[in-house]
Amino acid sequence: MQRRKIGFSIIALFVVLYPLLTTDTYKVYIMNRSLIHAIIAMGLVTQVGFAGQISLGHAAFYGIGAYTSSLTVLNLGFPIWLGFAAAVLVCILCSVFLSVPSFKLSGFFLSLTTIAFGHIVWVIIVNWQKVTNGALGVFNIPPIRMFGTKFNNTHFYYLLVVTIALLYLFIRRITNSFIGRAFMAMRDDELAAECSGINTRFFKLLAFGISAGFAGLAGAFYAHLSGFISPESFRFAESTKFVGMAVTGGLRHLLGGVIGAPIVTFLPELFRFPGWETYYMMAATFIILMIVVFMPDGLAPLLEKGFNKIFGGRDDVKGGSSE
Amino acid sequence: MLQMVLQNSISGMAMGLLYGVIGIGVCLFWQTTGLINFAHISSAMLGAYFFYTFNVMWNFPIIIAFVLAVSLVALYGIVVLRGVVYKQIMGRKGGRLEFIVATMMLNIFLLNLVIVVWGGVPYPFPSIFGSPMNPLRIGRVAIQHHSLWVLAFTVALVIGLNYFFKRTLTGKALRATAQNKDTASLMGIGVGKMTALSFALSTGITAIAGILLAPIYFVSVELGGGIIGIKGFASAVIGGLTNPFGALVGGLLIGLAENFSVFYISSSYRDVITFVLLVFFLIARPQGLFKKM
Repeated sequence: MQRRKIGFSIIALFVVLYPLLTTDTYKVYIMNRSLIHAIIAMGLVTQVGFAGQISLGHAAFYGIGAYTSSLTVLNLGFPIWLGFAAAVLVCILCSVFLSVPSFKLSGFFLSLTTIAFGHIVWVIIVNWQKVTNGALGVFNIPPIRMFGTKFNNTHFYYLLVVTIALLYLFIRRITNSFIGRAFMAMRDDELAAECSGINTRFFKLLAFGISAGFAGLAGAFYAHLSGFISPESFRFAESTKFVGMAVTGGLRHLLGGVIGAPIVTFLPELFRFPGWETYYMMAATFIILMIVVFMPDGLAPLLEKGFNKIFGGRDDVKGGSSE
Repeated sequence: MLQMVLQNSISGMAMGLLYGVIGIGVCLFWQTTGLINFAHISSAMLGAYFFYTFNVMWNFPIIIAFVLAVSLVALYGIVVLRGVVYKQIMGRKGGRLEFIVATMMLNIFLLNLVIVVWGGVPYPFPSIFGSPMNPLRIGRVAIQHHSLWVLAFTVALVIGLNYFFKRTLTGKALRATAQNKDTASLMGIGVGKMTALSFALSTGITAIAGILLAPIYFVSVELGGGIIGIKGFASAVIGGLTNPFGALVGGLLIGLAENFSVFYISSSYRDVITFVLLVFFLIARPQGLFKKM
């Protein structure tokens, strides 16, 4: 047990010291972006990995969150924390639209519906010029302020780490309760779950609501981190990236999103050797493709095993084990 | 007014037939595997790029370049899609979700591969399907030569596929495999070979669609990453997924709806109509317009 504690403290120390180890603020900014994506990927792990409801339209919620927060703060004069709350709330409300088709559809057809939802939201963002300023985007979004200091990248990093830790506890609490068991029953066999008295409609609404709320929160963070948003950040390709992060990390693992997002974000940076500029994206996507094809459980279980081997410890896998 | 309606119908139909041809590929894939390939549209992109390389860069004659491009894409379907992705995932009894994610990542990888090999700049397509400057005029309605070529290719494809499925032994074996794999293999049909054939047919037909789409979209990554693939899925779903020729009707419906919505509503909401149709059909009539072939 003692060795495990040492292992955890090494990881915690690294997480705390990360922005102080590097002098490159760009790296901290990229890390912040990847942590924002990690929030979405965590939501996707809950919705896709545990509840079995696939979504390929999460860029839409990300966008709705970003626009709601920045527009309420800029135009209605909300304080920023209220803008965050509005973003989460609006996303949860919008998720109801998306979860209604999921009552009837599953698998491929649900994924096509979510793609359609993502595109429709994107088209609305681009064309509703009076409110969203169209393709030009929204400028001058104020950064977060707390105790009189304007948040820079390093402050933001700690805020995100704390948020992710809280969200992790939230998800762990949920998946270890009757809700998580209902999600897994629904994922494994919807009919059997319904026969056992699980109200699948309610739990589908809940799964979509949780992950949409996460995506909305991430969108609000993104808007106030970068200070500028445009529809380009919320295209369909982003949705696939989020799902790719969740799968690379491990769809059936609670930490899947948190591990997958930084890996997918920083993998291209690893291949930026001089002279390799044209190849690095291809190499990175090739590795992600290989992980998805050959390691369907993702990297999180592997890392957990490695951690247990080095620092000793139990072999129980938290959350949903594979069927 | 009548002339405007006619003009819109003709251009809508030409576009719709192309969506339909992509949809045929989706259907052929669905029939034998029960899966949807989210890297489907990258076959179209690869087809257009291969054709461009052979015809324009290496100066091959058009027909040879066409055949080479389509068969190379079909080869990609067998080797990469079936040999690596499909076999790996089906070999460990992976679910649909894994296949969706794997093919989506394959699509992104292929996009990046194309950018590395051919560069990200769109190439203008040679005007082998007639120049858009001098369309055929009947009365006051202008018909692009390209539209006629699309029609000719589609008719040839439908006749060819129909002959193949109804008259040849291989086609019948393919249909038997689509209906029931176990029974088909008991009848002495090589199910593995038939699956490979359907992968090749699906990707090859999409490559043809890609070459025909290139004069409109240029030879660009827009072909493989854009919205066209979703429109192909939509036409297949509207047609019923089990009937390849239903996909053509679905494609026509989408093409016409798109063109008339540009005419009557606004061009900015052009793509929304496809998605509304897709969601409507998925919820209200998931079995599509046509029954199983």
